[in-house]
Amino acid sequence: MRLLCLVLTVGLTACGQQEEEARAPSAAEDKSVPVVYTVNYPLAWLAQQLSAGATSVEFPAPTGEDPAFWKPPPEIVARYQQADLVLLNGANYARWLAQVSMPANRLRDTSAGFAGHILHESRSPVHSHGPEGAHSHTKAAFTVWLDLSLMALQAESVAVALQELLPGQATAIEERLATLQQQLAQLDTELQSVAAQLEGAPVLYSHPVYQYLQRRYNINGVALHWEPDQFPAEQEWARLQALLQSHPAQLMLWEDDPLPQVAQRLAEIGIAVVVFRPQGNWPAAGDFASNMRGNIDRLRSQ
Amino acid sequence: MRGVLYLAWRYILWHRWKSAILIAAVTLVVYLPLGLQLVVERTATDITARADATPLLLGRRGSPLELVLNSLYFSSDYPQPLNYGQQQDLRQSGLVDPIPLYVRFHSQRVPIVGTSLDYFEFRGLELAQGRQLVSLGEAVLGARAAEVLGVNVGDTVLSSPESVFELAGVYPLKMPVVGILAPRFDQDDGAIFVDLKTAWIIEGLGHGHQDLTSSQAAGAILKTEGERIVANASLVQYNEITPDNIDSFHFHGDLSRLPLTAILPVPRDNKGRVLIQGRYQSNETLQMLSPREVIDQLLETVFAVQRYVLVAMVMVAVATGAVILLVFLLSWRARRGEQLTLLRLGGSRFVITSLMLAEALVVTLLALFLAAVLTALTITFGGPLLQAVVM
Repeated sequence: MRLLCLVLTVGLTACGQQEEEARAPSAAEDKSVPVVYTVNYPLAWLAQQLSAGATSVEFPAPTGEDPAFWKPPPEIVARYQQADLVLLNGANYARWLAQVSMPANRLRDTSAGFAGHILHESRSPVHSHGPEGAHSHTKAAFTVWLDLSLMALQAESVAVALQELLPGQATAIEERLATLQQQLAQLDTELQSVAAQLEGAPVLYSHPVYQYLQRRYNINGVALHWEPDQFPAEQEWARLQALLQSHPAQLMLWEDDPLPQVAQRLAEIGIAVVVFRPQGNWPAAGDFASNMRGNIDRLRSQ
Repeated sequence: MRGVLYLAWRYILWHRWKSAILIAAVTLVVYLPLGLQLVVERTATDITARADATPLLLGRRGSPLELVLNSLYFSSDYPQPLNYGQQQDLRQSGLVDPIPLYVRFHSQRVPIVGTSLDYFEFRGLELAQGRQLVSLGEAVLGARAAEVLGVNVGDTVLSSPESVFELAGVYPLKMPVVGILAPRFDQDDGAIFVDLKTAWIIEGLGHGHQDLTSSQAAGAILKTEGERIVANASLVQYNEITPDNIDSFHFHGDLSRLPLTAILPVPRDNKGRVLIQGRYQSNETLQMLSPREVIDQLLETVFAVQRYVLVAMVMVAVATGAVILLVFLLSWRARRGEQLTLLRLGGSRFVITSLMLAEALVVTLLALFLAAVLTALTITFGGPLLQAVVM
């Protein structure tokens, strides 16, 4: 009898449901052009190249912000929530995603296919509290697209997601993917060739964002934590001098043009500056391919 | 004839208690089988409607009924958990769009449903007030849940400990209410919806605490061994997620190992449905159910019980009818003197018989009217009333 009561309760609370069903799923809104949101510029560029105007590609990070650490306000999160497709970089990029609610079925982790190739680094001391035992919080290196072979895999993942979104354009997307991968392969070959000319010479990075560049192109680099728009404190210069004893670099890759006085002082100690833009955010001019070619040309000219 | 009816009516009014008891008895005899039949039919329709709207359900092997009742109706005990990784496997199959469910916790007996935003779209849930879930730790309430808890947008709800004896358990999580759903007259009205990660935080699988390397946490450090820091129980863990402490919230280990109570796989097409069912058919630890089939089995049991109840009611109705007939016959016998008086006053036998029958007719008509009113009330308010009785 309890079972009967339970079933009756469960069922009767649905009284009126049938009348309400007329207003169920409102998803059939007019969506002539699907909206694709991304968490960084390289993915936005891939989506633009592959959809060729068939989608509205949005990447709303403000200019000058590093998208990896940007925290969108609630109204922008709401726009991400309503997108038809959200392209994620994976590798714990855009940490704000872990702190918000998102429609999981519209998310596409573009690096899920090569999760085993993600580089990890420990950032916090090992600690323990409570019964779960000792643990430390590790962080993944996230600029995966600087390994252009991985970016080609990301392009594949974006293409699959777009084909699901635009089934009528599957063939066209496939063709654009082939062209795009050819373009990326060419840049990859050029970058390998330029990096090979370094012949394992020590290199410095202004910031720890070049892990994938280093691994893919066999660059012998060490990362500092210098910002392009700041003059490093004297102790940072002293640390650099100490580092040069074991790692005599004559080349330093920067995310952007450093302050002239920083470049001057580096030149005085025999270190040439090369701007190699990761392009996490929208470029000031050109697109991803042209800016990557600029990176390669600047590296080649050294 | 009007005189006969007038006299019958006056007789009923004069013997109001006896008449009221007769009317009540006839009303119940008519209403109970009819009402029960209506309730069961309506229940079957509504219960199967929700099951029909849920094509598939994936959970750990165990009681299918428990899994369906927990996942669709947020009742019953929570089933054995499966891993979040199963959801990723389902998505990678490309056959279904999986929606995670973690229905384990409560706030003052109101179920807390941990899920993703896909659930709202799948069920067609719309907001009546406030906004959708954005940040970790926020809650959106069903219309009835908001009423039961007496909260509005801007208020907070607190998760309840699973056991009052769980002194060393996780702290209740205080969650701001950011939205209230429009009523749907189904189980979603009575639930609190949170993000899946929030549900894991309620369980203590994710948490936020002071930075162990900060000076404020110095008093909570038990020992430091090289790079390893051991904290004591005084380490401040946050029981509310705010913009100031949200960055400290984290999960340990592999997210794919965290628990779910079920997954709603929404097939992209019929072929996908069949293929995905086939893949899990021989799975030893997981079961892929069609909720409609489980509910049909349940309803078969209910209908069997209903048949017994109806037979019993018909027997009671026959007995009650016999008693009512006896009451009328005895009443007529007791009123023999009254009938003789009417004869002496010039009333014919036909008029006297009509008078007696009119009384029975008025009683029956009044009873039928009341039974009809009760049936209408059952159709309109039966659900909430029955729920109030059962709860």
